[in-house]
Amino acid sequence: MTAELPKFTDHTRTEPAPSTETDGWHRLHVRMIWVDAIQTLLSLTPAVVAVLVFRVEPSLGAMWPMVIVATLGVTGAVGDALRWVFTRYRVTPDYVERRTGVIVRQYRSVRRDRIRSVDTTAKLRHRLAGLRVVEIGAGQRSAAGESAFTLDAVAKADAEVLRRELLWSTDTDGEPAVGVEHINDVPGTADSEVPAAQPTAGPAPAARVFARFRPWWVVYNMFNIWAYLMAAGLLWGAYWLASSFGMDIGGFIDGLADWGALGWGWTIAIGAAVTGAIGAIGLGFVFFTENWKFELSRMRGEKGTLLRTRQGLFQTREVNRDDNRMRGVEIGEPLLWRWMGMADTSIITTGLDTSAMSSASTILPRGPISVARPVAAAVLDVQPSPLEVDLGPHPRAALRRRLMWGTGVAASVVALLAWLALTDVVPWWAVIAGLGIWPVTLWGAWVAYRALGHTICGDYVVVRSGLTSRSTAALQRKAVSTVAIRQSLLQRRLGLATVSAMTAAGWGIYEAPDVDVAEAVPFARAAAPGLLDRYAEPARRPVAAAQHEVG
Amino acid sequence: MTVTTTMPQLRPPTHRVERRAVLWWSLQSLVFAGPILIGLIIAYVLWDAARPWLIVPLIGVAVVLLVGVFVQPWWRYAVHRWEDTDQAVYALTGWLVREWRVAPLSRIQTVDAVRGPLEQMLGLATLRVTTASSSGSIDIGGLDKDVAAEAAERLTTIAQLTPGDAT
Repeated sequence: MTAELPKFTDHTRTEPAPSTETDGWHRLHVRMIWVDAIQTLLSLTPAVVAVLVFRVEPSLGAMWPMVIVATLGVTGAVGDALRWVFTRYRVTPDYVERRTGVIVRQYRSVRRDRIRSVDTTAKLRHRLAGLRVVEIGAGQRSAAGESAFTLDAVAKADAEVLRRELLWSTDTDGEPAVGVEHINDVPGTADSEVPAAQPTAGPAPAARVFARFRPWWVVYNMFNIWAYLMAAGLLWGAYWLASSFGMDIGGFIDGLADWGALGWGWTIAIGAAVTGAIGAIGLGFVFFTENWKFELSRMRGEKGTLLRTRQGLFQTREVNRDDNRMRGVEIGEPLLWRWMGMADTSIITTGLDTSAMSSASTILPRGPISVARPVAAAVLDVQPSPLEVDLGPHPRAALRRRLMWGTGVAASVVALLAWLALTDVVPWWAVIAGLGIWPVTLWGAWVAYRALGHTICGDYVVVRSGLTSRSTAALQRKAVSTVAIRQSLLQRRLGLATVSAMTAAGWGIYEAPDVDVAEAVPFARAAAPGLLDRYAEPARRPVAAAQHEVG
Repeated sequence: MTVTTTMPQLRPPTHRVERRAVLWWSLQSLVFAGPILIGLIIAYVLWDAARPWLIVPLIGVAVVLLVGVFVQPWWRYAVHRWEDTDQAVYALTGWLVREWRVAPLSRIQTVDAVRGPLEQMLGLATLRVTTASSSGSIDIGGLDKDVAAEAAERLTTIAQLTPGDAT
């Protein structure tokens, strides 16, 4: 690993401009203080406007929402300013270090060779002030309670220099893709120094773009269950805002229609439809603000190439992923939306947390599968694409196993309900209703069976499974560390086995459930080349012969 | 004991675990399920009104305990096998669900011989081999403490010699 790294001394000039602090310790950018001051003023504004313009009586009863806004705003700003006073960071040849904390002093350091991603984000207030939040990813596990290493915030130019320096990227020629972001840039000394320090080698295009923002993807992001939560939030916000300014929302809604004549059924239906529509519009708006100017591209870096996404209208987000750490691609297709071809695309990579909703491993906004597949193929850069190969069906026994499990689940629900009915907790008709879940579980078994698939495609092992979200994963064979074959009593009877490939990347484990038992070992051997060879026996008996033994 | 060799085209690992491991697994079941059963019995005796409710979990836990103490340890003893070479660690574990697991030494991050209180009592140890994958570790329980320590030392030495960053 270390042999291919350039010498650190080659890059000393690209460090952020030296400050007055000794030993290379830097403060966060001083403009943070101004941002905090403005935030304080802004958070006081609603209260002042309400009193002076709308003549609201200045009592706690009438003003409490504004008081909460003002208190949160002011304490947040003051806390942020204190944090600025006590925070220092420094980049040494081996480490990135940060000291922070007002009451409890914190010291964090990250080894530079462990850095896997450098993520710059900016909220609206940061953008207006020309600042960026730098998030350094070094394989922290959020499950282990480790927070990300963030510098909130540094000047835009410094953020760019830090990113370049920490990831060794050479994309510094100020080509148009970067130019977009430079509009409200401050001409800093660091920015002008960079091209001189790291001249790019040759005229080759610096970035290859795989996907750009398409407005119609909004369709895939408007309809889901969160719409109602969103609508509830929006409506509640509108309600208290209006009532703070003395408007009568209840009376307004009463006047819209003759609710009494419509009856409860229609009232609820209209309410649900309107709420859903508001929520869907809200989600659509969120989609546009989050993914505006989305771009997925691969750029050259000194240590290899980087996969970069940038997106955002008010809050911009740029994530760079080291291609050396990429181990594959995964496409997830949620069950309820499979008819419209909805897909989530993410890369399988070491050191990034996969569980977060908008995690750094996601490389495309939720969109059509017809876009996800070609983009995944282009990102992997192999032909034929492992995500487009035909995965043959699994043995019918796999369907039988799922049907048995579905029946078993339904039976235990009915048994539980029967027991509760015997003890007079639920009425007997609940047991009959419980029977109603049997067709659902059987249908689920069929869907889950149809999702199964596995194959070997070139350097990749491809597995597909999942009921609520069918997920197809293509994982590099050389990234497989541990390989396991699992077999339950029922699987043994049915002549099936589950093959798992463990890896350091992504979810850590990728499984091909219910492979034919005769095929399990050959597939496992192919998934982890060379690993099982010394334990393999020649296929002595055909499968049929193997089954009589357990029958 | 033909029960272990039913995965076609794959031979089982060579070494079996210690016979004392049967006692260890029995005691484990007793320690985990025993207190729950005792608690349920006490509740059943003292709390008349809840008897129709408690009888089901009571029977359930009793069955789990009996199976755990008398069936599962022997079954496990018949299945469990392990093997280590200078290339990989190979283990076969489980009873109702059996698992064949192989980890190459080039991907190994840590090797430990772990000894819980029951294992210390019986002079046993668990060989724990972890890789960079969060789910890729191999636990081989019920080894003699000296055998486990020796294997851990041997594997650690080899793993250090193998180049690469284990991801």
